[in-house]
Amino acid sequence: MALSRRDAMKYTGLAAVTAASSGYAKGNEGAKAAAKGVLLSPAPIPAAKGPRVVIVGAGPSGLTIAKYVKKGNPNIDVVLMDKRSVFMSGFISNLVATGVLPLEFITHDFLEGARNGNYTFLQATAHEIDRTAKIVYTNEGTVKYDVLVLAPGIDYDYSKWTNGDAELETALKTKFPGAFIAGSETLTLKSKIENFEGGVFVQTVPGGNYRCLPGPYERSCLIADYMKRNKIKGKVVILDENPNITIKADGFHSAFDRLYKDYITYMPSTTITSIDPHKQKIVTELGEEIQFNDAALYSRVRGNKLLEIAGVAKDSVFNKGEANIDPFTYQVIGDLNVFCTGDVRPMGFSKSANTANTEGRIVAGNIVKYLAGTELSQKTWASPHTTCYSAVETNPLRAISVNAGYAYDATKKSFGFADASTMEKWDTKEGEDAGKGLLEWGKGLYRDFFN
Amino acid sequence: MERRNFLKIMAAGATVVAVNPSLIRGTLYADDGRMYAAYEKVQIVDAAGVPIKASSLEKEVTYIFNYPYAATPCMLINLPESTSQEVELKSEMGETYVWKNGVGKDRTVVAYVAICAHQLTHPTPNDSFIKYVPKSTPTMAYSKSGIIVCSSHLSAYDAAAGAKNLAGAAQQPLAAVVLKVADDDTIWAVGILGADKFQDYFKAFKPEFKEFYGGTAQAKQLVSISAKTVKLTEFSKEVIQY
Repeated sequence: MALSRRDAMKYTGLAAVTAASSGYAKGNEGAKAAAKGVLLSPAPIPAAKGPRVVIVGAGPSGLTIAKYVKKGNPNIDVVLMDKRSVFMSGFISNLVATGVLPLEFITHDFLEGARNGNYTFLQATAHEIDRTAKIVYTNEGTVKYDVLVLAPGIDYDYSKWTNGDAELETALKTKFPGAFIAGSETLTLKSKIENFEGGVFVQTVPGGNYRCLPGPYERSCLIADYMKRNKIKGKVVILDENPNITIKADGFHSAFDRLYKDYITYMPSTTITSIDPHKQKIVTELGEEIQFNDAALYSRVRGNKLLEIAGVAKDSVFNKGEANIDPFTYQVIGDLNVFCTGDVRPMGFSKSANTANTEGRIVAGNIVKYLAGTELSQKTWASPHTTCYSAVETNPLRAISVNAGYAYDATKKSFGFADASTMEKWDTKEGEDAGKGLLEWGKGLYRDFFN
Repeated sequence: MERRNFLKIMAAGATVVAVNPSLIRGTLYADDGRMYAAYEKVQIVDAAGVPIKASSLEKEVTYIFNYPYAATPCMLINLPESTSQEVELKSEMGETYVWKNGVGKDRTVVAYVAICAHQLTHPTPNDSFIKYVPKSTPTMAYSKSGIIVCSSHLSAYDAAAGAKNLAGAAQQPLAAVVLKVADDDTIWAVGILGADKFQDYFKAFKPEFKEFYGGTAQAKQLVSISAKTVKLTEFSKEVIQY
C-alpha cells in the first residue's frame, strides 16, 4: 500500500534525516530546516519537457531502458538515477579479479550514456517513494514521475547464515564479501586473489535464484587457474547449497576434473550451519569443519529493499522481497505506472546482464506504448534472451556458453527455458572461439549501455 | 598483401573504372521508396580491381566489401537457392519496408550491411563474429543453417529473405545493400535499404577507426566508383562462429 507523502516523511525519510542531523547540530533548528528544504525541494535537474519516466538503478536494466525509451519517443523526458558515480559491471569481473583484464574493461561512465542517449543522469539515492503523489524522494531532492521504473537489483540475504546477527553479517560483508554486487566487493576480491599465499579459498554457491548462475563456478576455475599460473599451493573449495552445478554443468565438471583436479574440491548439497569470520571456519549441516585462508562468501540474494520502501515487494518462490508485478507487463499489481525490471523480477529468469539488457529493450518499447495509451498485456510480452559465456581457463582464454529464451507454461503458471542450447566443449576450437566471444559479448553490452 | 594495406586501398576506393550507366539495366530489387537511401553507385571488384561477375561468386562464401562508407563492412553472398521475393520487413522503430529479392541469374546473390542490428558487432581485420553459416554447418543460434549468424549474442538472420530476424536479441533485420547486376553480369551497389545503424556505429568505434582507417573522418568517407571485395577469411584474421 502506498503511504501518503506526509506519512512517508513522518515514518522514514525525514525522521532518519532529523535524527542524523540532530546528532551533529543538536538544537540547531536552522540546520534541520535547511535539510528539510533540500530534501523537499525539486532535485536540481531541468523541469520535465514531456511525460517523465524516472528510472531508479543504472545497471544493465536501467541503462537499457533509459536509452530505448528515449529512442522510442524523444519527447519523453527520461531521468536515470543511481547512487553510484561510476559504473562497474559484475559480468566480466571475474577476469578482472584474477588479473586477466584491466579494471578499465568493466568500468564505465554514466555521463557518456546520458550524453549519447539524450537523457538526464542524476547521481542520487532514492530513500522514499510516494506512489500517490508520484514523487521519488532522494538525497538530492524530489523527482516527479509519470512512469517509474524500479531496477535497483539485488541485495544480499544473509539471514540463513546470521539469523539477524548484524555484527556477524557486517563482519562477513567486510571480510569475505560475495563479490556479486560490483564495486568495492570486486576490488576486495581482486586484492584477496592477488595476495593469496596458499591454502584454502572457499567459494560458496547459494540456493534460490541467485545472480549470475555460472558466476561462482567460473570464478572457482579462474582462481584455480591463477594458482596454477603463479605456482601457488592452494585449493578452491566450492561449498554449493545446490545438489549439482546449476548451469553448464558438463562444461564445469569436465574443467574441474581435467584442468583443476589438484586445485578444486567441489562439495554439492552443502548447507552451512555456522561461519566464524574471525577463526575463519565454516561448519556444515553434516558436521564438516572447513578451515579457510580466504573466501568469497556468496549468500542468498533478495530483491533490493527499495521495493519494500516503495511498497511493491513480495516474496517470490525463489527469493525474498522481489517485485509484486504482472509477469507479462512488469507493471506493479494495482499501480500500472510503476514497472519493476532486472534482477528484482520474480520470474525465474536468469539474473544476468544479458537477460536484463534484452528484457530492458522490450520493456522500454512497452513503456513508450503505454504512455501513448496502449494497454499492456500478455500479448505485448516478448521473451528476454539469456546468452552468456563463462571462462574456464585463461591461457588461451577458453569459455563455455549458454543461449536460451523463455516460454510461459500456462498449466504450471510459470516460465521455463525455450530453445536452449549450450556449448560446453571448452577444450575444442569452439571453446577457444568462445573465449574471444566472451570479450566481444561484454563489449557489445557496454556499447549498448553507453553509446 | 597485408590486411592493413588492403584496408587502406579499400578505404581509398579510388580505382578508376569507366562507368557506362547504359550498361546497367534491370530493376532495383529492393527499392519501393520506403526506408531506402541511395548512395554512390559503385562496382564490386576484386582485390586487384577487376570487376567481379555475379556468377563467379563461390556459393555460400561470405565476401566482404566496404559500402557506402569507407569503414562500413557489408557481406556479399551467393546463396545455394533463389531467395524469397517481396519480403515485408519491420525496423525496430516499427517502420515497414519491402525487400524485393536476390539478384543474378538465379536470384541468389544478396548483400547486407555486416554490422549486427543488435549491438553493432562487425568484421574487423582482427576478427569477425558475424557471417553466413553454410547449410552444412550447424549453429547454436538457430535450428537450421544457411543463415547469417552473429556469434557475439547469437542473433540469426534469414539470408534469403532480406535478413529477416530468425532468433536472438536483434530487433530488426540487418540493413540490406541494394544491388544491381548488369547485362555483363557485373555487380553494382546503389543504396541501403532498411534501418542502418551507421550513426551509432560511427560513435562507438572511434579507436578502431583510428587504428585501421586513420581516423573517424577517413572512416566516414563515401566509397566511390568501386568497392574492393575479398572473402571474409581474408578480411579477418579470425572468423568465429558457433
